[in-house]
Amino acid sequence: MEEMMEDSESVEMSGPEPVQGVAAAWDSVSAALVSPGFSVSDQNLVDGLALLCRRGLAPLLGVWLLETLQMRLSSSVVPEFWCGLKQPENELEERGRAWVLLTAFRTLLDRLEPFLSGLEKLGAWQQEGRCGLSGPGPKGLKEQAFTTIRALLLFSPSPVLQERVLEFYSRTFSVYMKQEGNAEDGAEAPDGSEGGACPGCGVPLHQCWCLEALEQLQQLSHILSKLQLLDWVSSEAVTSILHKLIEQRMEQHCRGEYERSFLLNFQEWLELVLGWLGKVFACEGSGDGPAPASLASPVMKQWRCHMHQFFCRIYVNMRIEELFSIIRDFPESKAAIEDLKFCLERTNQRQQLLTSLKSAFESRLLHPGVHTSDILTVYISAIKALRELDPSMVILQVACQPIRKYLRTREDTVRQIVAGLTGDAEGCTDLASELSRGDPVTLEMQDSDDEGTDPEDWTPDPTDAVPDKLGSKRRSSDIISLLVSIYGSKDIFIDEYRGVLADRLLQQLNYNTAREIRNVELLKLRFGESHMHYCEVMLKDMADSRRINGNIREEESRLSEDEQPPLPLSAIILSSEFWPTLKEEKLELPPVVCRAMEAYTHRYEKLKAMRTLSWKPHLGSVILDVELEDRILTNLTVSPIQAAIILHFQDKSSWTLEELSGKLGAPKELVHRKLALWQQQGVLREEAGGRYYVVEMGSSMEKLERGGMLIDSDEERDSNTTTQSEQREEKLQLFWAYIQAMLTNLDSMTLDRIHSMLRIFVATGPVVTEMDISELEAFLQKKVREQQLLMSAGVYRLPKPT
Amino acid sequence: MKVKIKQWNGVASWLWVANDENCGICRMPFNGCCPDCKVPGDDCPLVWGQCSHCFHMHCILKWLNSQQVQQQCPMCRQEWKFKE
Repeated sequence: MEEMMEDSESVEMSGPEPVQGVAAAWDSVSAALVSPGFSVSDQNLVDGLALLCRRGLAPLLGVWLLETLQMRLSSSVVPEFWCGLKQPENELEERGRAWVLLTAFRTLLDRLEPFLSGLEKLGAWQQEGRCGLSGPGPKGLKEQAFTTIRALLLFSPSPVLQERVLEFYSRTFSVYMKQEGNAEDGAEAPDGSEGGACPGCGVPLHQCWCLEALEQLQQLSHILSKLQLLDWVSSEAVTSILHKLIEQRMEQHCRGEYERSFLLNFQEWLELVLGWLGKVFACEGSGDGPAPASLASPVMKQWRCHMHQFFCRIYVNMRIEELFSIIRDFPESKAAIEDLKFCLERTNQRQQLLTSLKSAFESRLLHPGVHTSDILTVYISAIKALRELDPSMVILQVACQPIRKYLRTREDTVRQIVAGLTGDAEGCTDLASELSRGDPVTLEMQDSDDEGTDPEDWTPDPTDAVPDKLGSKRRSSDIISLLVSIYGSKDIFIDEYRGVLADRLLQQLNYNTAREIRNVELLKLRFGESHMHYCEVMLKDMADSRRINGNIREEESRLSEDEQPPLPLSAIILSSEFWPTLKEEKLELPPVVCRAMEAYTHRYEKLKAMRTLSWKPHLGSVILDVELEDRILTNLTVSPIQAAIILHFQDKSSWTLEELSGKLGAPKELVHRKLALWQQQGVLREEAGGRYYVVEMGSSMEKLERGGMLIDSDEERDSNTTTQSEQREEKLQLFWAYIQAMLTNLDSMTLDRIHSMLRIFVATGPVVTEMDISELEAFLQKKVREQQLLMSAGVYRLPKPT
Repeated sequence: MKVKIKQWNGVASWLWVANDENCGICRMPFNGCCPDCKVPGDDCPLVWGQCSHCFHMHCILKWLNSQQVQQQCPMCRQEWKFKE
């Protein structure tokens, strides 16, 4: 402004020439600039310009022009534009609205055209340096003008514009896609053409304005690019349209669909979309007509990048949401995992994936309502799926941490895993096949062979890796090793397996151990020979028992008729040191069975010098027939105590619970439970006063058809071995004596102190090292509850003897 | 009612008829086996001396082999003679 003042001063000082002439020259030049239609003869113009230059007024031309543009914009053009855009308040149909939009922009262009061409002209003069004119040239001038336009026009944009633009672009997009789609595959939208509505513009066919819409799109792009408003007006709308469309398409095609890969499909589709983008961002082009932006132009390259990014992000978002189901469906969902892997590498969403997966596990899996075997099944598929997704195993390690922690708190985890390994678990054959696949020792050897790998190929761990002593090398993906390491020690598993093996062997009737031998051999490969030694002895016991049985049978067959044993008895003979602790139950068997056992023992002693047998009367199984007056139950397989009960009823047809319990030497509750089987079979019934009677005449005949293997309905098939927790309890009980002694001598001790003392004193057993401090604490707390121990201020002491 | 036992599958554990539980030499249970053996029973038998002490056969043989002068029972220091 100041400059202008100076200029005008200088004008007046040096003004001998008629002011009139200057004014006329200014008028003619400015008129020539603003309205192209104004006819001023070239000479006239040149003269005027020269005059202005001479008077030093020429630099003002550009300023004046921009000023006028600004004035005009704010006073009439901008209000007119917004007015025109809003005018038909919601009365028009989409088609009309599109027309209004275009018209508004067209008018805008019409209004601004004179100024733009004026600037162009002035710029050209400046460039040519005509009459000593100088300035920023057409480019610079226009740049300034566009900035002004943008500033004034979009200073307070009404939401109507965005809405309209969005609507218009969406429409042209569907029109375009319809046309392209038809060209590529007509099957995509066959219903549209038949259903009466045009799939492109969504109105009845006879009113179809598809072509018109495309035409309008072209024009709009042209106008916007001319005014350099394209980026400002369209980008946002286009971005949100793309986002929405990709999301929509993904919802439609991919959600819940894990068995197909969608990458290629989407790649093709995105190329199609790029075609449309080319139309939207038609650059002003070399010619006067707007040419679709070529795919190689920087704008398009940028959009292509954006779109891929959108796609990856949206895909990853969706799959993260669904990851739990994908894992559950693995390996059927392998395609989805591979897609996800591809996209995840391009977006920075690992952390999101981890958090989401963790919480999915926690809310859907790790609660009391889920069976342990189901948790294991999911965990196994998670291992398989995640090692596919992330070969560095970091996701696996981090995301599955909660599962491992939770499994540690379940009592039957080990049993389930072992059952899985031996192929007992129903529906969970993964582990068994994994076991037979190969041994990890050799597998890992291949992995960790350092010399084989090129140091150049080294890749660092992802940043979210848990720093631990084991490097990425040791981060195992072997399912069995991972499961076994839940507890951190093999021994617990081996012990549990021994328990399971013992159960299975004791339930056998025919010494058939082929399957167990195979399992033990496989486990030997995995855990090492020495760990499985006990199991081998157990299997050998089975084979020995079979041979001894054969021997004894042969001997018996040589006996005369009346020397025959009272009942056919065979035995499984255990090496007690090698079998897991078997449950001790008292049971007095009927004399006839005892006699048979004595005879058997006698023969055994003859066979094996200096050795004898100690029978476990409650273990084993009995096959028997029950003959009643009107029916026969054949081939029932029952437990010894059930057999003993029914044998007693043979001698005397009614017993009370007390009598039976006394006779059998077993607790009443147990006898009561075992009686249930015979009641269920309709052989016994209970009458008032707690007496049980034999039902000689069966009234309900339908039960009789049932034969064969009977399993007590009211109880789980109980294990013959003591459970893990019972054994632990026993071991801890052993420490109780030590703890008492320590506290007697030292008066009071903290938990840590007790733990470390126990370590020192009881160092010989393998038990202490396995016992962690929390377990000890739980044990001590129990003692406190039982009032055998006092605890205050973190120290334990014995109660004072009263 | 008549009950006919067709088959009784019993379970028993075998044990040595010995006057002690553990071998005096290796301190392992008789019903287990000596430290050198894997399988108990027939493969790792017990032997009795005339002094009535008994040991894992492998243990006492090892002991006797290590005695240069006189072969004595490690428990009672009487001369070791296998019980017939």
